[in-house]
Amino acid sequence: MQALYFDGHSARATPVRLHVTEAALHAVAADPGGNAGAEAATAWQWPLTELVWPERTRHGQRTIELKGGGTLVATDAVAFDAWRARHGHRDGWIVRAQQHWRGVALALMLLVATVAGGYRWGVPLIARGIVAVVPQAADQALGDAALASLDRQWLAPSRIDAARQDEWRARFGALMDQAMPDAGRRLAWQLHFRSGGESLGANALALPGGHIVITDEMLALLVGHEDTVLGVLAHEYGHIEHRHGMHAVARLTLVSLAVSVALGDFSSVIVAVPVLLAQAGYSREAEREADAAAARLLRASGRSPEVMVLLFEKMGQQRDDKKKSESSASRTPNLPIAFASHPQDDERIRFFREAAR
Amino acid sequence: MDTESPISAAAPAPALPTRHEHALRFVGSGSEYFRIWIVNLLLTLVTFGLYYPFAKVRRLKYFHGATELAGQPFAFHADPWKMFRGYVLIAVMLIVYSAAGHFSPMAGLIAFVIVAAVWPALWHSSLRFRLANTSWRGLRFHFRGTAGGAYRVMAWPAVASLVLVGTSIAMAPADENSQPSTALAIVFFAVLLAFWAAFPAFLWLIHRYRHDHMALGREHTRYNARVGRYYMLSLKSMLISGGPLVVLGIVAAIVIPAMQASTAGIAQRADAGAGAAFGVGMVVGMALFYVVLIAVAGGYWTARMQAVMWNGTASAHIGFASSLRARPMIGLWIKNGLLIIVTLGLYFPFAQVATARMRLHAMTVTSTLALDDLTARLGLESESAAGDAAGDLLGFDIGL
Repeated sequence: MQALYFDGHSARATPVRLHVTEAALHAVAADPGGNAGAEAATAWQWPLTELVWPERTRHGQRTIELKGGGTLVATDAVAFDAWRARHGHRDGWIVRAQQHWRGVALALMLLVATVAGGYRWGVPLIARGIVAVVPQAADQALGDAALASLDRQWLAPSRIDAARQDEWRARFGALMDQAMPDAGRRLAWQLHFRSGGESLGANALALPGGHIVITDEMLALLVGHEDTVLGVLAHEYGHIEHRHGMHAVARLTLVSLAVSVALGDFSSVIVAVPVLLAQAGYSREAEREADAAAARLLRASGRSPEVMVLLFEKMGQQRDDKKKSESSASRTPNLPIAFASHPQDDERIRFFREAAR
Repeated sequence: MDTESPISAAAPAPALPTRHEHALRFVGSGSEYFRIWIVNLLLTLVTFGLYYPFAKVRRLKYFHGATELAGQPFAFHADPWKMFRGYVLIAVMLIVYSAAGHFSPMAGLIAFVIVAAVWPALWHSSLRFRLANTSWRGLRFHFRGTAGGAYRVMAWPAVASLVLVGTSIAMAPADENSQPSTALAIVFFAVLLAFWAAFPAFLWLIHRYRHDHMALGREHTRYNARVGRYYMLSLKSMLISGGPLVVLGIVAAIVIPAMQASTAGIAQRADAGAGAAFGVGMVVGMALFYVVLIAVAGGYWTARMQAVMWNGTASAHIGFASSLRARPMIGLWIKNGLLIIVTLGLYFPFAQVATARMRLHAMTVTSTLALDDLTARLGLESESAAGDAAGDLLGFDIGL
């Protein structure tokens, strides 16, 4: 096998012939007379453990890295690969995958499967693990910050007077006392009243750390249906119990981390897209869990989960009314954690009907 | 042994310097790098990023091996296991850094100070690691810059950023009603402006640090590019990037009245389909514009900066010349950007190879010596072994 030997001390190339034995790679100067210096060596050998063979590529030359710092470069890559194959060399599986379009197609398929599977199952699973080790104190800090930013951006002070607010707090407190008599298992909650305004309208939401927010518009929508309001609050309590807010944060962080690892040298615009998708795509299951908690709490406090059906009917009515009265697109609230953002009403009505039996 | 002093880059002066020109060639192919890239990406994802240093070594080995100077390829020798530790440390540091800001501004500031304090050392270490693991004709490159030099380069921007972060924290209103102090705001904007105005000079400092300390054998590069060139280039770049914005303004002046007319028509006919088509057209148009804007600014900057940097780099017997022109580079950026979008990112490795090829083929290495006569300094390995081992200790490679 023809190659050029560079000794690592000089840029001079010595044409050599290579051959391999059991334990060593040997090089013999191809033209011993040409390098006529008296001190010039004409044969070298390196233990096979002290060199790094090149990986096969379709283009380029082959460079063997020698431990002393030198290199052996074979210009004729095809001959070099054939020579190595004759000596029983077989490429590692990574190199084989890289060299064949079949391997590459498989890698592409696995990549898509990994991304899809990781997104669907892996991310929620890891998020669950992360949330399990994050202390409740972190929920509090995060929830306080989130409520402050919602107050700036989405919510306005409530027009309901303090006495009526306290009445609602007492009612929901009584429900919780009945539903979960063991006070040690109840999580701390705080009930906030806000005006949802144009953007949120009749809505309710839960934030980490026990913050439950209900809008004036929601109370107006359900006026006279006290138990339904309590059901909505129980649903939000369910979010807190399952720490859905923390799960969402953990998932967002994971997805953005994974995306920036995969596309490390890519623009941050592209990084932001799946992050937004994650937020929208995950909440359905969380809503189901919160609905289950609401049904449980309502039943345990001696109420029928069927009171919730009224909520979906009222909200559906409101949507229809709005659709008739205005044609602009601003009617759907777009704060993803808010209650009214998930209008899969039929399925949820069915759930509460069945839970009532 | 006198000739072994590190500064004696000048070899015995040749009587009549004849210029030898050596072309750089890139022999890699997009389809081959695509295959390496996709396998790398898969393994990196399924190992939760732990494979990343191995992927990086594969990528660098491919790009180095595919780059040939005077017919001989470069080689990259790094041991991915060594890079692994540095990579884990950097990853932990960045995670802590990005998390700290979420807790409180003060924690963010402290994390920023810590990162700023170690970053120059990491930068220096990574430059050293990269060059020490790059070879050509069996000779390892060396980076002769000092850690102190890296700190001197980074000191000014670090201080300026600290002032910026500090004043922005101080300016944050304590409660809803308090007004931010005017004096602080003035300091903030003054520093911001100075920061912005000093940016070309800062870039020049960075490039000078990198290009003033590269060594191969006895050849030690010097960076001769003047800071004025950086200001000229920044100015021109800004003017040229303004071009697409002017075009956008003209287009908008024509399209928006037309759009208003047509949306009025749509509203009358309640023709939702046409409205949706119009919306899609707008999105595609904006995406196209975005690609062109980035390509014009990025392509122009890349081409001109390559010329400024490499025409300004020379050692005693070696010089560099870049004939890279802005127009083909801009064209390549547009093509790459569009194809990356259309293929949902799968064209990315092809784009990288095409860019590397265009950039490298425009480079010429000139030498007053036959390159075969460039001999490595005797005892080189033993002299620098300690230094390079220190670099190896963490094996940082921040990927500059």
